[in-house]
Amino acid sequence: MTRVFALISLALGALLTTGAFIAVFFFVPIANGGELAQVANIGGEQVTHQLWFSQKIFYFHVPVAIASFAALALGAWHSIQYLRTKRPVCDLRARTAMEVGLIFIILTMISGDLWTRSDWNTWWNWDPRLTTYLILMLLVIAYFILRVQIESPERRARISAVFGIIAFANAALSMLIPRLMESMHPVVLSGSADSGLTPPMLAAFLTALFGMLFIGFGLYYLRSMQLELAERLALVQARYDEAQGS
Amino acid sequence: MASPSKKDPATPAVELQSLTRNFGVRTALNKLDLTLPAGAFLTIFGHNGAGKTTLLRILATIEQASSGEAKVLGFSTKTEADEIRARIGFISHQPLLYADLTAEENLLFFARLYGVENAQEKTRALLAKTGLASRSLDVARTFSRGMIQRLSLARALLHDPELILLDEPYTGLDPQGTETLNALIDEIRDERSFILVSHHLESGLERATHVLTLDKGRIQFYGTRNEYENFVDATGKTSKTSQKTSQCTGGQA
Amino acid sequence: MKQFMTLLRKDLKIEFRTFDILSSMGIYAVLVLVVFGVAFMLGENSYDITPLASGLLWVLAVFTSLLGLNRSFNREREFSALEALLLSPLDRGVLFLSKVTANALFLSIVFVVAVPLFVFLFLQGGVQGNGVLAPSAPLVLAPLAVGILGIAGVGTLLATITLHTRGRDIMLALLFIPVIFPLLYSCVTASSMALLGISDSMVFLQTLGMGVGYDVIMILVGWMLYDFVLNG
Repeated sequence: MTRVFALISLALGALLTTGAFIAVFFFVPIANGGELAQVANIGGEQVTHQLWFSQKIFYFHVPVAIASFAALALGAWHSIQYLRTKRPVCDLRARTAMEVGLIFIILTMISGDLWTRSDWNTWWNWDPRLTTYLILMLLVIAYFILRVQIESPERRARISAVFGIIAFANAALSMLIPRLMESMHPVVLSGSADSGLTPPMLAAFLTALFGMLFIGFGLYYLRSMQLELAERLALVQARYDEAQGS
Repeated sequence: MASPSKKDPATPAVELQSLTRNFGVRTALNKLDLTLPAGAFLTIFGHNGAGKTTLLRILATIEQASSGEAKVLGFSTKTEADEIRARIGFISHQPLLYADLTAEENLLFFARLYGVENAQEKTRALLAKTGLASRSLDVARTFSRGMIQRLSLARALLHDPELILLDEPYTGLDPQGTETLNALIDEIRDERSFILVSHHLESGLERATHVLTLDKGRIQFYGTRNEYENFVDATGKTSKTSQKTSQCTGGQA
Repeated sequence: MKQFMTLLRKDLKIEFRTFDILSSMGIYAVLVLVVFGVAFMLGENSYDITPLASGLLWVLAVFTSLLGLNRSFNREREFSALEALLLSPLDRGVLFLSKVTANALFLSIVFVVAVPLFVFLFLQGGVQGNGVLAPSAPLVLAPLAVGILGIAGVGTLLATITLHTRGRDIMLALLFIPVIFPLLYSCVTASSMALLGISDSMVFLQTLGMGVGYDVIMILVGWMLYDFVLNG
């Protein structure tokens, strides 16, 4: 029943994302101009306009980034739940959410890199937004290294829950940096009505966004079910061993 | 700040209700139920990993139960931890002191932390009582094992606790140190309650009024000392052999 | 408050008796400066590192404080003193705040020596420096103060977190640098503005404000969660 739910979520996500993908490449018009706020000198070249490829990647890059953030938020939420209830399943879900978060952060960086390559003509630069995401990735990796380093399962759960919360607070603060600092990274979802998206573009964008969120949720659900089963198996095994031993 | 409120003497020192503690899949304490009257001296025996220290740490509120309830001096370990902390003294085989503070500074520091009134006088009195007065200005690092243990005892008595928890206090002590420790325990016996976790059968039993033996996190025996002696006589062999074939389950002891 | 002062006084007393943290941080700071010196020795002996000064200053700050933070719980671990604290009726948040204060004081003491030394060696007609600092340079003290507070707050929290991990020292570095990043970013930017001249005081304040916000949030988080970080 729940597995069906997870699979439906995954399938729906795949469908929506693919639909958005096709729409973006064949139907959604390219915005004219896509002008940068100012002439930027990147990799020795004067760049005034965003190229068409960047517009295509936008429909995946931004949803993936949002999904990664949602996963981290879910991880923090489960971490708080763990500290409140001390139920091991919360720890497991927090960990799963962080895993999904890591996948999406890496996808964000890859898709973002395609953008920088085509748009800024360089693979990497220390732009605040890029750096922030790199740091975010290191933070999530640090979360997993921390888990490995603590032996007692309970302490591991408790400490990593605290770190999960810190990581999320930190991620939220990091998101402020590019808004405050000068960044070449375009701020697309600035919240203003003037976001420059035409209705078909917005439709495609939202389709891709929901697709990504569904994929993320499906992954999270399947993985946490798998881990919960593994945990239960370990418990049964331990009981069995105990019964055999005595 | 917390002067030990002499509560109703009928309040049991410790009350456990199906107290359970899990470490992952391992059960360290399995549904313990018992009531220890005030003023009793309880000795807990058990193999390594039987859950003795875990139980003591839960009573001291530095570890939490997974389920069930534990009341110490009438206070819940879950919701009234600070009340309990102000009323218990904990002595372990570890010093629980600052190595770089002098004996006097150590005691003064903890006295202030506990909000003890007349910290100076109290400190001086306890230093004299434990025979450390002449070394009171020396840094704890320079002390011998026995002296550290005495200082640690003084630390645990600063706030005049109603219940004293002793976690393997004899470990690492020479016969003379053991003797001093025993003499001090006798001296402060009063109406206080004691809980002692020990490997040593003799020194553990000497003062006990009650005995608890744990086996794999379950109560094997709980009763008064006389009952325990009858129990050992009746099951004599089995309990002694099981004492020897200590199957160490490892991990958290 | 009484408990806070008792704890703080204890930390200061031990430190001024053993100089465990201060001496190791101080020497390490000098060593980092020497490494900087070596790194710039190869230049033509004439180039100006003023534009880089703010970044270098914070490299110095981060690595030096990392070393001190690693040591700040040594005295609590030896003789299991930390457990004695946990056994007492002591609010865990107070313990956190007292440790943060103590660490912030130690960091300040080290920086009071290390920062002028850095300026003397690299910025004021020292070996390579021929750059001129902007008149607003003394304002660098503001981001330094904000940075020290944040480093002490986050550092104390993370040092406690890594207390029970296997590779303690390396784990602290691994967690500390990513977590401190937003603060580092705002402090480096603000310091850079101060040293090179503030063109827009609004931006300077905004940048600094972000650092302050970070400090407040992180210390609040630490204060609330400290009970969970400790054995409890």
